[in-house]
Amino acid sequence: MTILRAFRTAIFAAIVGLVSAPSGAQENVLVFAAASVAPAIRATAQDFTAKTGVTVTVSAAATSALAQQIIRGAPANIFISAHPRWMSVLADRGAIDATRQTALLGNELVLIAPNAHATPLDPAPGFAVRGALGPDGRLALGDPDHVPAGVYAKQALSALGVWSEVADRLAPAGDVIAALTFVARGEAPLGIVYRTDAAMSDAVSIVGAFPANTHDPIRYDAAPVTRNASAASDAFLLYLLSEAARPVFERFGFLFLPRT
Amino acid sequence: MLSPLEVEIVLLSLRVGFWAVLVGLPIAIAAAWLLARTSFPGKAVVDGVLHLPLVVPPVIVGYTLLVLLGRQGVIGAFLDNVFGISFAFNWKGAAVASGVMAFPLMVRAIRLSIEAIDRRIETAARTLGASPLRVFATITLPLALPGILSGTVLAFARSLGEFGATITFVSNIPGETRTLPLAVFSLMQVPGTEAAILRLVLISIAIALAALVVSEYLSRRVAARIRGTPS
Amino acid sequence: MIRVAIQKKLGAFTLDVSFDSGAGVTALYGVSGAGKTSIVNAIAGLMRPDAGRIELDGVTVFDSTTRIFLPPERRGIGYVFQEDRLFPHLSVRRNLTYGRRRPGENLPQPSFDSVVDLLGLAPLLERLPHRLSGGEKQRVAIGRAVLSRPRLLLMDEPLANLDTARRGEILPFLERLCRDLSLPIVYVSHAIEEITRLADTLIVLDRGTVVAAGPVPAITARLDLSPLIDRGDAGTVLVGTIESHDTRYHLTTVAFDGGRLVVPAVGGPVGAALRLRIQARDVAIATSVPTGISTLNCLPGVISELGTGRQAHRDVQVNVGVPILARLTQRSISELGLEPGRQVTVLIKSVAVEITDRSPD
Repeated sequence: MTILRAFRTAIFAAIVGLVSAPSGAQENVLVFAAASVAPAIRATAQDFTAKTGVTVTVSAAATSALAQQIIRGAPANIFISAHPRWMSVLADRGAIDATRQTALLGNELVLIAPNAHATPLDPAPGFAVRGALGPDGRLALGDPDHVPAGVYAKQALSALGVWSEVADRLAPAGDVIAALTFVARGEAPLGIVYRTDAAMSDAVSIVGAFPANTHDPIRYDAAPVTRNASAASDAFLLYLLSEAARPVFERFGFLFLPRT
Repeated sequence: MLSPLEVEIVLLSLRVGFWAVLVGLPIAIAAAWLLARTSFPGKAVVDGVLHLPLVVPPVIVGYTLLVLLGRQGVIGAFLDNVFGISFAFNWKGAAVASGVMAFPLMVRAIRLSIEAIDRRIETAARTLGASPLRVFATITLPLALPGILSGTVLAFARSLGEFGATITFVSNIPGETRTLPLAVFSLMQVPGTEAAILRLVLISIAIALAALVVSEYLSRRVAARIRGTPS
Repeated sequence: MIRVAIQKKLGAFTLDVSFDSGAGVTALYGVSGAGKTSIVNAIAGLMRPDAGRIELDGVTVFDSTTRIFLPPERRGIGYVFQEDRLFPHLSVRRNLTYGRRRPGENLPQPSFDSVVDLLGLAPLLERLPHRLSGGEKQRVAIGRAVLSRPRLLLMDEPLANLDTARRGEILPFLERLCRDLSLPIVYVSHAIEEITRLADTLIVLDRGTVVAAGPVPAITARLDLSPLIDRGDAGTVLVGTIESHDTRYHLTTVAFDGGRLVVPAVGGPVGAALRLRIQARDVAIATSVPTGISTLNCLPGVISELGTGRQAHRDVQVNVGVPILARLTQRSISELGLEPGRQVTVLIKSVAVEITDRSPD
């Protein structure tokens, strides 16, 4: 039965060849980016591709979900998180190269409402957020248990002394864009998202901004995924941190952190 | 044995699944009968639309529900203004999401069951003076019962596992919409919770298995009675 | 009273029939595919003719010109199908009573017990259909249709799916039914034996049209009806009354319009009505009165008509007071010089005569 065995070996070799990526010459870069920063990354990536011809694919989801996937071996080259906590988790496991982790962007937390009901509401200590929700309205935000935007929102609301009032009137969304959608659809009278998210929707208006001292600094960190490091992905990472990328990020409303 | 939090999650899941199936059942029976026994222009299109939740990404189904049944939605606004019914961020919305996702399964099972009934028996009933409604109630429905039972349980099990449409339509509110799948998802995002996740997963499996076993048993009993063979 | 006048395109040919039918059993006879079932389905409301009119007891149930079409459940017809079509999830009792609640004006109301008695269903009442034999199932189907208080009973070859033994088992029940119920019955069959035992009126169909309609004895004696005559068991049906019994030899003498027939003993009082069937092949013809012959029945008659020759045989119709068919070889006809007008003697063996008990309503 040597013919059969030779046939089987050939099939096996073909499968292995297809599945394993040749190391070194890799022309595609896969970026896992937090939902709120993904559009900006995509815009930067377009410029990068135009200049270098290297294709960049951006996969967006909640930071927590992306981190889980990277832990389980997702083939991402670069990880951009919306909260340092998840970066530390990955660093502890050696999934990302902590020595090359860099703070990339900053953001601001804002309070939004549907256009039709946009009365200004200043997030000051003890502000009337519960009253603004009405008898049965809910506050839409990323899930405070694990979505970074939700974590920051909970910190801010606690710092302002109103967390206990609204804790049972939340609509915890799977990611911050879903929270934005709830407000945009008029389903929730108020929501807490990043300023950069609010800018993306015509259907919502910013009614107030949370002072930076009410929560941990919002920091988007970028780091290469150890297992999948490549020349192309290193090049893109450098590009993201370079002055060439600043105008794009600032156009979206982010605070560009790297100092050159 | 189970923590109060876990009990709350399980009860919510059971409640959501129960109502999803209960409300969906009469509609599914009607739809199945129409597809099995009648013909009308556009039948293929209706058939296709009914099966959409099976093939379309659950998140899209959830978003569609948000657009249609949300506070500002075409149907949602009407229901809210006229009947005071709202699905926004409550367990009823979760039941709707589960029900819609499970609906095609129910319709399929019931339709197959009705199609398996010899139409000549239904004709004979009409010659004995039974109106089409009486034929349906006394002949079709009893003979389709095994399929209805298994379709119901299948739908119930599917409801228990529904995630994407639910979280997109009514978000993840503990006690209101945080069903078993959403609870597991939440735990998965937080490191170090493997033990709790395992407990919830085992509970989910246990409930689904129990439902399947009960349905198998009931279906067989009913089928045996219909055939008259000892069960 | 049924009046039917309908047309419908049925694939190979067009159904175009028109007939009236009164009390008693009307048989629709024809080869398979002649359109019999279509007619019955049209009467029942299970098939919609292209054009025409159907009237049951003065109620118009279908009229294509005025667009009347009563659905089956409102026509007051009972239908016994070829396949029993019993409800598998209901007991025999509940099958039987399913149609009892039919809304209806002054429709006949047979009692449950009398029908159960008539059809011998008492020991089966609590069983489920799957535990019944084919014959038992068909009896239940008949009972069910009768108990639904119909104004008319339709039967579409109800015995066709049964083997000979079962058929023989049910036929007596059917006979009693047809005799005891004052219910018009339309009976579809291609089995001449059933028709001759059960029917009063015979309608012969060939490829969608009525080729003959009339009382059974008259129609069966005709030579020109191809579907009837082509059969190996073609024969004549006679009606008569019991004249006397011979207890010594266990014979009965039956009087009929053509004289007397001696047949094997039949139960019943003198004067009781009987129906007899004589197969054409059991009838011989002699040109002179025979002596020393075993046949007890020798009837004088005149040849009225010769049928068309078919290979070895040819049918001869002899008038003995009523027409009787004899099937002879062409050679015999030729050698004896048989032709219309010739005086002959008809010979019928007593043991060959089939007797059915047909007391009038």
